[in-house]
Amino acid sequence: MREALWVIPTLSYLGFVVLALYGRGLTPSRAAVVGVGTVGISALLVLALAIEFMTSPPPGHAYVQVLWQWMEVEGFRPPVSLRLDALSVIMMLVITGVGFLIHLYSAEFMRGEEGYSRFFAYMNLFVGSMLVLVLADNLLLLYLGWEGVGLCSYLLIGFWYRDPENGYAARKAFVVTRVGDTAFAIALFLIFTHLGTLDIQEAMQQAGRTWGADSGMAIAAAALLLGGAVGKSAQLPLQVWLPDAMAGPTPVSALIHAATMVTAGVYLIARTHVLFALAPPVMLAVAVIGAATLLLAGFSALTQWDIKRALAYSTISQIGYMFLALGVGAWSAALFHFMTHAFFKALLFLGAGAVIMNLHHEHDMGKMGGLRTQLPLTFWTFLIGASSLSALPVVTAGFYSKDLILHNVGTSESGSLWLWGAGVLGAFLTSLYSFRMVFLTFFGEAKGKASGKPGPLIRIPLVVLAFFSLVAGLVEMPSLFAYAGLDVHLFTRFLQTTLPGITASPLPLSVEIGRELIIEALQLGGILLAYMLFLYKPGIAGVVARTPWGEALQRLWRSGWGFDRVYSVFFIRPFVWIARVNREDAVDLPYVGMIWAGFKANRFLSRTQSGKVRWYAAGIGLGALVLLGIVVLL
Amino acid sequence: MNSADFIALLPLIVPALASVVLLLLITFSRSHAVSVLFTLGSLLLSFLLLFVAGGGTPRRVTPLFIMDAYSLFFIGLLFIAGIVVAVMSSRYLGERSMERGEYYVLLLLATLGASVLAAGSHFASFFAGLEILSVSLYTLIAYRRNDDRGNEAGLKYLILAAASSSFLLFGMALVYAQTGSMDFFQLAEGGRVPDLTVVLSAGLLLITVGVGFKLAVVPFHLWTPDVYEGAPAPVAAFIATSSKGAIFALLMRYFSLMDLQRFPAVWYGIAGIAVASMLIGNLLALRQNNLKRILAYSSIAHMGYLLVAVLAGGTVAKTAVGYYLAAYFATMLGAFGVIAFLSGEEGDAENLEAYRGMAWSRPWTAGVFVAMLLSLAGIPLTAGFIGKFYVVAAGAGAALWIPLIVLVAGSTIGLYYYLRIVAVLYGRVPEGEGGAVTGFPGRVLGMTGGILLTVLTFALLWLGVYPAPLIRILQATVARLVP
Repeated sequence: MREALWVIPTLSYLGFVVLALYGRGLTPSRAAVVGVGTVGISALLVLALAIEFMTSPPPGHAYVQVLWQWMEVEGFRPPVSLRLDALSVIMMLVITGVGFLIHLYSAEFMRGEEGYSRFFAYMNLFVGSMLVLVLADNLLLLYLGWEGVGLCSYLLIGFWYRDPENGYAARKAFVVTRVGDTAFAIALFLIFTHLGTLDIQEAMQQAGRTWGADSGMAIAAAALLLGGAVGKSAQLPLQVWLPDAMAGPTPVSALIHAATMVTAGVYLIARTHVLFALAPPVMLAVAVIGAATLLLAGFSALTQWDIKRALAYSTISQIGYMFLALGVGAWSAALFHFMTHAFFKALLFLGAGAVIMNLHHEHDMGKMGGLRTQLPLTFWTFLIGASSLSALPVVTAGFYSKDLILHNVGTSESGSLWLWGAGVLGAFLTSLYSFRMVFLTFFGEAKGKASGKPGPLIRIPLVVLAFFSLVAGLVEMPSLFAYAGLDVHLFTRFLQTTLPGITASPLPLSVEIGRELIIEALQLGGILLAYMLFLYKPGIAGVVARTPWGEALQRLWRSGWGFDRVYSVFFIRPFVWIARVNREDAVDLPYVGMIWAGFKANRFLSRTQSGKVRWYAAGIGLGALVLLGIVVLL
Repeated sequence: MNSADFIALLPLIVPALASVVLLLLITFSRSHAVSVLFTLGSLLLSFLLLFVAGGGTPRRVTPLFIMDAYSLFFIGLLFIAGIVVAVMSSRYLGERSMERGEYYVLLLLATLGASVLAAGSHFASFFAGLEILSVSLYTLIAYRRNDDRGNEAGLKYLILAAASSSFLLFGMALVYAQTGSMDFFQLAEGGRVPDLTVVLSAGLLLITVGVGFKLAVVPFHLWTPDVYEGAPAPVAAFIATSSKGAIFALLMRYFSLMDLQRFPAVWYGIAGIAVASMLIGNLLALRQNNLKRILAYSSIAHMGYLLVAVLAGGTVAKTAVGYYLAAYFATMLGAFGVIAFLSGEEGDAENLEAYRGMAWSRPWTAGVFVAMLLSLAGIPLTAGFIGKFYVVAAGAGAALWIPLIVLVAGSTIGLYYYLRIVAVLYGRVPEGEGGAVTGFPGRVLGMTGGILLTVLTFALLWLGVYPAPLIRILQATVARLVP
């Protein structure tokens, strides 16, 4: 069974190739069968592999499949090899599982759109690349997957390319993530030149031996990797692209910009955690970036009117939690939140998509309302998603993962009360903005009329994701539950073979209970406040917002803390200005000169091709003379 | 000559016999199909016999031939090229009303001549192989007898090749006068090649003139575009690949056996030729609109790249040369193949403008052509990239910075004209008279064309993505040239 590992990404690529080559000739139903089917088979295969991995793990809890050797030049031998271990099993399960549901949803959602088969071709290419990213056993192959998903993200954000704004959003996403990718590439060069290998496991061992803890090189390499992770995962200061990425079709936002691709940074840090552990300052930076991002994005999510933008800021904020967990060394907690987040955020996006589709492409929550009765299934599933996002205690998956993160941040040796406080404040904001969305969209008076009901291909993914958004957390219980006899730690135990556990100092029971109570009070308080502000007395929010301070703050938050403006002033405008002023710059002159010289030389040399045999023979004679001249001279 | 010698020499004996038998055969039966099948069969048999001959290697067969892994590899490459050219020609000739049988006799002889060169270890076999090859080519180039350009090209090639052969002979004579031997191995051992005297180095460089003419490197390149343009497309493919590859194999052997890199005069002479070829070959192609001429200029530049590896010397360089030649063979045969299969009776499909927008009406053919062009340009994932990569690695290992800089500059210029063709292929179809009918209406690749070009394209991508098997073969054969 394990030997079939290579089939999993290959299937998706196969789907891509078929759709790219023959897509035009296929009917929409056939294109959907190819697009959805390949991912579906992959998902089944992954499930079988995962079951086999759990029941009879391979020796060393890892299985490496070397497919072939790419090239071999003077010690540089990158193999194309895949690695199956606990970490990649979890990632694959989410990618293919959630991916399959979203593909299924898209089959109905995208029906009738121009470029239906093109859409599935890109989506399949994305799934294939994402699988390569998580399966890669060396950094070069990982980088290939990394760039592949970046390309698909670009293509899919700009899927409706006739609108120039979508093209701009796609370019923005590509350019901003490119900043991070460049750092990542430099990190690869650094690792290869100093450690002599790109094999991840080998490089990690070498890093410990060659660099040692807290050495300059380890810090530099980890910081550069962090640069790549920050770009891909839309964290401070490169988070600006994600809200604009919502220009793409909603299933794309669900799959790429919520569930999978944007968490690639989290995966990268977890995969290279040995290196990060050698660089404590970078670890601190990861935690601080995570904490700052989750707060800033939380505030921004609070003021958005576009439902997809609100969800986008929420995604940034939730990935902030994952970074916070990584920063304190709680690797498996980050992965746990990645998993639950994939379920409930995909659910929220798909629910939002259903709403948008039935309201004639209306994104503005101000023009929604009262959809509770018109779209009951969408409402209930969305409510489950929002509850899970708000980490509603005990019954939702989000509770278990967020609680694990906050618990770890509070007890880890590298954690601190400040970070914990930021996380708790973020939890309050999360429930506030989540239920703001719920109340604005589904409660109150109806402002629009929904046209029709979503079909079965939309309903099934919603229900399945809602189910997982509720129960997926049960595999890992909070440590407090142990007192009640519920000592379940399946998730962290499973990952322990790949990711080491956290070094934590246990807290007194009273402190733990106290902290737990604070968290729960704030989370429920957030929901209550949302109810007060947006449903019970909508006037209050308006009054606060109309004060000068309120207005300024609101504008600041809505624009994502003005990062776009700052970047525009400091980077974009100067750059464009220089480019414009320097249109015919001196640097170009040599190149223009070269072209000119090339054409001149071409014209001159063309004259030697006269077609005359005597001239050609003279050429041979001349050549012989020159060669003999060399003999005489040397 | 005992039986072991005979077995070792079988791969050369079979095509020699086959050409005589075919000559007799066509006096009885003028059937085109019979000639084609006989040619293909004998080439295939010769190819298979290489594995039989491989059992007894390395073996000197008379002073004239050395059958070792190195020569077997190149002879194999030449036979494959011969097969491909024969397949191409069968379609090309089949559509034209001209004498057909003799063509295959000449093709067999030319392949034999090239193989003799690859196995040659003596000035006599060197010269004999070269003449068998050249004389066959004179006729093949002018095979379209009622085509003026063909006749002109044949005559030009005849005169210039004869002139260059005389340089070669004179050079051999001078070397013999100095050393008293014409046997490469005798020259190599026992310090027969003493410190450089003026006469010896003059001899070596005059040999270089003769070799340089066949390789079409600057300044002996002037004939190339005219001959490529005048010759039938399959013959041009043969000149671009087999004729040059065989000479190159011999040059490498000669160079490494005698360790000629140690003579500054020879070294600088070759370096100058390499640099000039890379630059001038690419520059000449810049604004050319005739595809066959573009490929001619391109082949001049490619021989320049290969000479950089020769300058570098060493094991890596030999692997580089072997890989580069294999990639170059596949690519050039594919490119000329497209032209040959699209050519109609009125003339070869060589005008670039005729290809405008072809990608829209026949995407597969255009795709094959693009793959060939990208490989020529050395774009990653094609065989051409790995080949060039190896050459650069060999050059960098020997610190040949100036030739390498020129190589990069030349490749950059090359990109312009390769991509220009790609742009034309994907260009907008000119509106107006005749609607959107372009890209050789009515011409189909047919079974042979489709299969042949698909195989070549796959070979190209396979070598570019998964080069390990060929590299292993090369390390077992070509790289073990010098004991």
